Amino acid sequence: MLNQMEHDGVIKRYAIGGAVGATFYLEPVSTLDVDVFIAFKPQQESIIVSPAPIFDYLKRFGCKMEGEYVVISGWPVQFLPASGPLLEDALDNAVEVDVEGVPARDLTAEYLAAVALQTGRAKDKASVLQFIEAEALDRTKFEEIVERHQLVDRWRDFERQFVE
Amino acid sequence: MKNNFDFERIWESKRALRRRLATAPIIEKLRMLDALHERAVAIRGARFREATAVQEKPGRYGDRKEKTS
Repeated sequence: MLNQMEHDGVIKRYAIGGAVGATFYLEPVSTLDVDVFIAFKPQQESIIVSPAPIFDYLKRFGCKMEGEYVVISGWPVQFLPASGPLLEDALDNAVEVDVEGVPARDLTAEYLAAVALQTGRAKDKASVLQFIEAEALDRTKFEEIVERHQLVDRWRDFERQFVE
Repeated sequence: MKNNFDFERIWESKRALRRRLATAPIIEKLRMLDALHERAVAIRGARFREATAVQEKPGRYGDRKEKTS
């Protein structure tokens, strides 16, 4: 469905993030929804980015809306604009993955961890720790991202609190 | 009472399980994710029902019925 949306020009580019995105690198953990980061097509004469075209498109395929979510194949999917330098960078550097012959695009482990570090809720911290414990991160790449996006202090605090 | 649990072995087996799950084929992991999702939804639904279900007022056991004449 996501590939079709991209193909049909409803969205410019997508990548799966959150716990479902992390499943490509870690053991599966329970989650209630799917986070999909998207770049919108530039809308003429509007500076407000609206998810309405996405909802309208998906309704045509019989998808139901549940508040901020669209239910696709039984999963509540939240479309999140890749707003801000880190998310934009993460989306630009997302990688193609193969799911039984179906291509999908996923944030890299390093960006997933950096986004979780930036978001900073308890469950995000747990996710960063999971990436570290599973040795799923290329530490050089991760630290480059952390530095580029002014997350060094946050990372040092995190290391002090949970890693050292 | 003597403690016979070897926690080192328990932690190691947990780590091994996590490693095995992390390196499992993605399709297998996505199936697990589906199962976890269904369970999480069921648990949340049950909690929600507990919170909002109309409950009967508990009976006062031992009360006698009013006599009708």
